[in-house]
Amino acid sequence: MNTHRTVSRGLITVLVALVALAVLGWATARSSMSHGALLGMLPFAAVLAIAALGQTLVVMQGGIDLSIAGTISLTVVIITHEAYGNDAKVLPAAALALAAAIAAGLLNGLLVGRLGLNAIVATLGTNALLYAAVLGVSGGTPRQTTDLMARVAGGTTLGVPNAVYFAVVATAVTTVLVKKTVTGRRFEAVGASGLAAWAAGLKVDRFRGGAYVGAGLLYWLAGFLLAGIVNKPTAYEGDSYVLASVAAVVLGGTSLLGGRGSLVASALAGLFLTQLQQYVLALGETYAVQTLVQAAALAIGVALYTINWRRLRSPQRTRALPASA
Amino acid sequence: MNEQTTVAVVPAMMALTGISKNYDGVAALTGVDLTIRSGEVHALLGENGAGKSTLMGVASGAVVPDAGSITIGDQTYDRLTPAQAGELRIAIVHQHPALMPDMTVGENIRVAVPAEVLRRDGDTETTMRAMLADVGCAAHLDDRVESLGIAQKHLLELAKALVVEPSLLILDEPTAPLGPDSVDLLFDRVRAAAAAGAAVVYITHRLAEVRALADRVTVLRDGTVRGGAATADISDDELLALIVGRKLESTFPAKLSDAEAGEPVLAVDGLSGRGFHDVSFTARRGEIIGISGIVGNGQSALLRALAGLEPFTGTVQVGGSAYGPKRLRHRCGYLPADRHREGLMMSLSVRENAALSALRLFTRGPLLDARAEAEAVAGQLRSLAVKTPSQQTMISALSGGNQQKVVLARALLSAPAILVADEPTQGVDVGARSEIYRILREIAAEGVPVVVASSDAKELEGLCDRVVVMSRGAVVQTVEGDAITEQALIHAAVRATGHRREEVAARPGSTPLRRFLLGDYAPVVILALVMLGLGAYVYSTNDRYLSAFNITSVMTSCAALGFIALGQTIALLVGGIDLSVGPLAGFMVVVGSFFLNDGKSGPVMLLGLLLMLLTGAGTGAVNGTLIRYARFTPVAATLATYIALQGLSFLLRDSPGGNIGTAVTGVVTEQVGPVPLSFVLLVVVALALEVALRRTRAGMRLRAVGSNEESARRVAVKVTGTVIGAYICCSVLVFLGSLVLLAQLGIGDPAQGVGYTLSSITAVILGGTSLLGGRGTFIGTLLGAGLIVQVLNATVFLELSQTWQYFFQGALVVVAAVAYSRVRGADPIAKG
Repeated sequence: MNTHRTVSRGLITVLVALVALAVLGWATARSSMSHGALLGMLPFAAVLAIAALGQTLVVMQGGIDLSIAGTISLTVVIITHEAYGNDAKVLPAAALALAAAIAAGLLNGLLVGRLGLNAIVATLGTNALLYAAVLGVSGGTPRQTTDLMARVAGGTTLGVPNAVYFAVVATAVTTVLVKKTVTGRRFEAVGASGLAAWAAGLKVDRFRGGAYVGAGLLYWLAGFLLAGIVNKPTAYEGDSYVLASVAAVVLGGTSLLGGRGSLVASALAGLFLTQLQQYVLALGETYAVQTLVQAAALAIGVALYTINWRRLRSPQRTRALPASA
Repeated sequence: MNEQTTVAVVPAMMALTGISKNYDGVAALTGVDLTIRSGEVHALLGENGAGKSTLMGVASGAVVPDAGSITIGDQTYDRLTPAQAGELRIAIVHQHPALMPDMTVGENIRVAVPAEVLRRDGDTETTMRAMLADVGCAAHLDDRVESLGIAQKHLLELAKALVVEPSLLILDEPTAPLGPDSVDLLFDRVRAAAAAGAAVVYITHRLAEVRALADRVTVLRDGTVRGGAATADISDDELLALIVGRKLESTFPAKLSDAEAGEPVLAVDGLSGRGFHDVSFTARRGEIIGISGIVGNGQSALLRALAGLEPFTGTVQVGGSAYGPKRLRHRCGYLPADRHREGLMMSLSVRENAALSALRLFTRGPLLDARAEAEAVAGQLRSLAVKTPSQQTMISALSGGNQQKVVLARALLSAPAILVADEPTQGVDVGARSEIYRILREIAAEGVPVVVASSDAKELEGLCDRVVVMSRGAVVQTVEGDAITEQALIHAAVRATGHRREEVAARPGSTPLRRFLLGDYAPVVILALVMLGLGAYVYSTNDRYLSAFNITSVMTSCAALGFIALGQTIALLVGGIDLSVGPLAGFMVVVGSFFLNDGKSGPVMLLGLLLMLLTGAGTGAVNGTLIRYARFTPVAATLATYIALQGLSFLLRDSPGGNIGTAVTGVVTEQVGPVPLSFVLLVVVALALEVALRRTRAGMRLRAVGSNEESARRVAVKVTGTVIGAYICCSVLVFLGSLVLLAQLGIGDPAQGVGYTLSSITAVILGGTSLLGGRGTFIGTLLGAGLIVQVLNATVFLELSQTWQYFFQGALVVVAAVAYSRVRGADPIAKG
């Protein structure tokens, strides 16, 4: 076991991976590093980064949030359907979506924090309820996004996609809240041991449940951006973010068993996974290969944290010694 | 024991030679030699972290030594496996019982003790009952171990060790949780085992036990042997000197003189709660209050109430102001008996643990002031003399005594109104003990009331100014001043009850209804009723619901989902989860679509089937290997295979293709009347698996691993093999599901199958299987799958939109999960 805190290990891993990917892209598939390619990739990286931040909050509490799919999809369809063709309705629609995301977070929080349900069970149920709402709102059909949404979420400022600014601010705010405030430190303590935190006087159920509400807010932001970035988003936009967000969290070094998490690393892992896809695409490979590369990246990423490499390098002495020594 | 001190040449049962063991570069044992003789009780003494338990782990096969050898008779081994140790009849009673909480007492015995041993006297049940009676364990064979008290668990553990008539019996601090009655019985049994020729190793902290029991004593310190002798040839002082390396001047700080005691600072009046009732006492400024009594008579419950962790009635006044549970939880410094679970965040640093309760004091505006925090923590650590490399060191790297001091530091930093300590020196070495006594005394002197519960009456005698003796949850006597002696305390506890009760069964009476509700089969009955009700309702609105066509179609859908969900059940029972089942089913269909077409020969088709099966077995093996050898969490491992299998499906076919042959479809969709054969097979497989789960050793091993992996490993269950086997079995069941799916789809479509991951998990949850592992039924899963398919089908007949399909699924999951967890009384805090 490590005797010292490993707070930056996930961050270092992800940074090294990003640099390696950039160098590899430069060397073998220059088009993946072109200005246009990056401009196209970054908004989606920003969305995944924000989604991963939310998932990280939940994972830090030893949970996992499958309802990320329903929350993002519902946000997207509410904004695109309620504000269809009418910029003036964007704000009320976004507010309605926000209320729905918070409600979903509260339901998850109630089921997991207060009633003690397993996170997979609770969020699986919530996700189905959210999709009931998605179909209720949209009937399953896609709608064109509005001009305002396309400008705000899909536009660029100073040559950088607006979504990136949103992601950077979201990452900074979440990190400060978790690492530098009283509530955040208590949040980490509850994630590390609920029993001990409770005995120390903390309201464990509020922190556990609160993680889902915080996550819901971030999913809402991800969905909001997606509703502007994608020209004609489907009713199922959120589906691809379940596995991707968990993969980003895991790559970022936060243990699925809960405890300390690195939010910056999760967000950067989102960037890494998106650019990886771009790179494989630039190599001219198919969707199949892209998927396999993602699986490999995830497996290697996890193995970096879980396998005791030092032990593998120096096998135990036992084997070398004769039995009668 | 003096008549046994003649040193005869007794044969060595086991000789440990040059044993060394490192954990991540830290030496736990260095070149330890130890000879254990048959017919002797050999006490192993030493401070915490001296290496006693590690050494006995080596002797019992639980720990692999880095160097050294183990000689038993004329055989020499590098290491023992738990299985070998079992064959050699080496039995160990662990400090933390190796029990599976989700299994019954009987199942725990059967999974740990060889069947031949249990059949020795004829009937297994009779043997099991006799072995429990032999150690005075009152548990019923059908009780779930989870529902037993800690003392009963230890007695069960002892019974399991004694029944194999061990050649070597190892007891690791066995008396810690036991009351005096059980201790006497334990000593009798240990002596009897030694008299019958067993070698006994007795690990302890208590010199009195060494005197009472041991023929020989060896002292370990810092992983090396410090010395050893026949018990009669060595004095307590000499032993103590060997243990700590220096003579202790005085262990306890001076008590309060009557003149020093101030005004009352704590008044507890008529306090009642679960496990204790009508407790009253007061504490004057400067006094330390002790809570004494036989273990399990309400002392811990009382302390938890004082710490605000349990509800109570009655009043608690601190410094003249009334405190309810809520206020106490915030203002009470609490040192729990189980430090690792309740006292510390083991994955956080010393600073984070120490500062937790006082963070409000270290703020600048809305943010934390890191420097103020570090300074305050440093000051507190210094005044408690905590030995730690730095504040950033992980708390898990500290010794037991220093960890306890960090818990104290946290309590003190928060300026508590009252300090409550449950067994404050358990698992703390001798040196740190006296420091903790000193600190407690200083806190009391500052006017903070201090309440200490201890099972060690000697400790209370040395430490306390006033001791409340409890029995059956009530105060039987309050002893003050010089009257506080070990004897007085024990007498007071014993006299009160007439016959001593080791443990008060605080649980509600077990009625047949309650046993059923708590049992694994309640969900099955509930689901069946829901399905019947739903069926009746839909049929009343549309009589085509029960048409042969609809029955066939529902049952066919159920077969595909059912097989996959049965597989998922195995993964959950073993304490994991398999997210890859959906893509795997889809991938198998794609593989099959290259072989199982019209016009292909029989052998080619067989080859196809074989390849599908191998794909499954391979996936299961990869999942299991990633989890066991690469230490992935089950979610991470099966997420990786999930994505990979999806990629592989698209690699083989980037669009749907490869029509499945009618011959194949015909076989799979064969039916008897309206009932498809595949569905019949599903029911048969589910029933067979159910029987296997309950009756076979493999089934018990599966549940044992899911229930408590560490305990399972210690009772010689091959955990790694069981887990990998479970994932392979899971994938093989997915193979059966994919055959049904193949016939349903009729084509190799790379995008199909993925949805089965979530629906299989839904089915298993509805069936009542616990996601925490160890508990569940295949029958429940079968019905769960049936209900999902039935609901989807019913929405069609009721002409409801897709919105309702999703809504019903979500509502079902939430309602079922909430209902099951309520019935089982899940503790929200304990989870995760």
